[in-house]
Amino acid sequence: MSMSTTKLNAESHLLLDQPLLRLPHELLRKTFKTSQKHFERDQNIIMTGVKEAAAKAMAGGDPEDPVASLDSMITRMQGLKRKLESLHEDEKVLQEHSRKRISHLQDLYNIPSLVDEGYDRWSRTRLDRLLVDFLLRAGYGESAKKLAQEKQIEDLVDVDVFVQCARVEASLRRGSTVECLAWCQENKNSLRKMKSTLEFELRLQQFIELVRAGQPKEATAYSKKFLVPHSENHLKDIQKAAALLAFRPDTPWQPYKAMYSADRWEFLANAFVNTHHNLYGLPSRPLLHIALSAGLSALKTPSCHSSVASSSSNTASSTTSLCPICSTELNDLARHVPYAHHVRSSVEPDPVVLPNGRIYGRERLEELASKLGLPEEKIRDPTTGEEWDRSTVRKVFIM
Amino acid sequence: MEAIQKEYERLIKRANLSKSINDVEHCLRLLENAREAILRDPTTSKMTLVKLQQAMSTGLSKVQDDHKEIYTGLNRYGKALDKTFKAVSTYSTNDYDALTSQAPLIKRAIAMHLIREGQFSVADFFLTEAGPIDVPPELQQEFQEMYEILDAMRTRRDLSLAIDWARQKSAQLEQRGSNLEFELCKLQFIWLFIERPERAMAYARREFSRFQEKHLKDIQQLMCAFLFLQSPEKSPYSRIFADPEKSWNDVAHSFTKEFCSLLGLSAESPLYIAATAGAIALPTLLKMASIMKEKKTEWSTVNELPAEIALPPGYQFHSIFVCPVSKDQTTDSNPPMMLPCGHVIAQESLQRLAKGGSSVTLKCPYCPRESSLHHAKPVII
Ligand SMILES: [Zn+2]
Ligand SMILES: [Zn+2]
Repeated sequence: MSMSTTKLNAESHLLLDQPLLRLPHELLRKTFKTSQKHFERDQNIIMTGVKEAAAKAMAGGDPEDPVASLDSMITRMQGLKRKLESLHEDEKVLQEHSRKRISHLQDLYNIPSLVDEGYDRWSRTRLDRLLVDFLLRAGYGESAKKLAQEKQIEDLVDVDVFVQCARVEASLRRGSTVECLAWCQENKNSLRKMKSTLEFELRLQQFIELVRAGQPKEATAYSKKFLVPHSENHLKDIQKAAALLAFRPDTPWQPYKAMYSADRWEFLANAFVNTHHNLYGLPSRPLLHIALSAGLSALKTPSCHSSVASSSSNTASSTTSLCPICSTELNDLARHVPYAHHVRSSVEPDPVVLPNGRIYGRERLEELASKLGLPEEKIRDPTTGEEWDRSTVRKVFIM
Repeated sequence: MEAIQKEYERLIKRANLSKSINDVEHCLRLLENAREAILRDPTTSKMTLVKLQQAMSTGLSKVQDDHKEIYTGLNRYGKALDKTFKAVSTYSTNDYDALTSQAPLIKRAIAMHLIREGQFSVADFFLTEAGPIDVPPELQQEFQEMYEILDAMRTRRDLSLAIDWARQKSAQLEQRGSNLEFELCKLQFIWLFIERPERAMAYARREFSRFQEKHLKDIQQLMCAFLFLQSPEKSPYSRIFADPEKSWNDVAHSFTKEFCSLLGLSAESPLYIAATAGAIALPTLLKMASIMKEKKTEWSTVNELPAEIALPPGYQFHSIFVCPVSKDQTTDSNPPMMLPCGHVIAQESLQRLAKGGSSVTLKCPYCPRESSLHHAKPVII
């Protein structure tokens, strides 16, 4: 028997599930920050208003005067209340998501082993989550929504976040920076903390477009307004941008040719997606890729891509099961991944060899012969269908 | 996970905006009351405003405190997440993706998975959104049929569709050594016997004669039940009738396996098996990867993983042959070879033993028998 385990170590098993809790937490933080921003602004304005009104009254102003300023303060306060209430609604949804997700992960801790039926169910839900994650990242929002809906896992997946991300990504591929700049504005502080260069790259692109459109004056003004403030970190880029004014869009000279290139939009789209995922603690690649590349290798054997049909795994007889790597669905996909390492042979008990060189466990041959209702002295090769006399079957020794 | 749970409880109880909203409402009332007081009696305006300034300052700083509490709560919850996921975040999950360049193959694997799992409407959405995907055109229809048959079995306890199918495919099933048709008829009999024994008798007379040659013993055991009609638990074969629920599940499983096998597919979704195996393997693989990284190699570029990964027993599909001499797994270019004594070693090991050429005598490393290279013969595991 090769090395096997049924032990379920929930802690290390959660490798793929970190974003499940991270994302709502990040969104909660964002909600909190928005609330705090609103509050701090209004607090200042209102306190200043109250102070001024009090000061005026002390200085002997018209006693009816404060009513008007109180009115405006009341309106502002009502506005703040409404904003907080709406954020509270978001907050409740996110907390509910977190609750359901914690309980979903907690379920794993209560499953006794990897061969438990509960694990099978849990793992199927995980695959559905991974599939939704994949579909969303690939931009197949409708399929993702439908799958989440049918499997009733809407609280365990983050459709909205990815759909918004895909929208901004698509706008960049269309050659528009508007949506992405708005997103940068929304997440200004976090991006600054991350030392993100995304906004600068977007501004640079705007500048390039102005130059391309033959508007050097506007470009220069734009550069002064939006590029120069970044000079601390991007001085060289700003100088390069200035030099671009001297080159036509069809220039063969680098780096100006590259700056004019349409590939830059692709670069911006990717940069945005990376920044976005980074900000929300999302892995940059689909979780399904991570799970699959590990799984393909863990299951793959040299037989899976052999030119000779494996004796132990095929669909030729009811006594064998087809290996997932040998199956149509995954065979090509697994072609270039490494195969699993084994230190010991692991074959069916009591191995015997047929005249055609195929090795089987004796019991399997017996089982097939009896299922086929073969005559007593006959045996059939489960893979090739050839029939032999029992006397031709020989014992082999696999060490 | 407990720490997360605890901090989460704290979070929803204390660290949310409802408190801030209450305190904002309080400030709002202060403003409204002040306004009313001034309107009622403008001469108190000075007094009212001074008081208001004081009260608002306290009121707003309360809102600020509420926010601080949320901030603390979120931070503590975040730290609990960090701690729980600490073991995993030391590895970057970004380096181990051999699949990014394989989008069409992944899409195909997903489409086939959705179809074989019976998620036809999702599959339709997917094929429209992500198409064209190279999926066998008749696949959906085949699986629709399979789920119709399974559905009849599960929800209506109706085996007729399944039996029809098995009869239609009897030649192919026979070739595979499958007894599915008999298994289905047997379950039909058992089900009838439990519900209405008199119909079971008629059924047996009508249907079992075809199976008599191959399944005489089973049929005898089944018919024996009529002798114990009054007290079936006394029958020596009572266990056949003991757990019909399990029988339905087992037969549904056999049916699924045979149905998929005739399509050349495995009974269980390969995508599911691979993703599950991946999740189980990942902790070991990542440890492996970080070691390999120090040695400046990527695991995705080697032929064979550098260490063994333990999976549950059901995850081994192939027999594995590791040459006892070289410790290598055999491959097409280095196949297993059997010596006349029945011992098997890899071809390369054999060639190393027989340096002198194919006719030189070589001694089996595992027994006293001697032979030569050209007496060794390739075997298929
Ligand atoms: Zn295989
Ligand atoms: Zn020997």
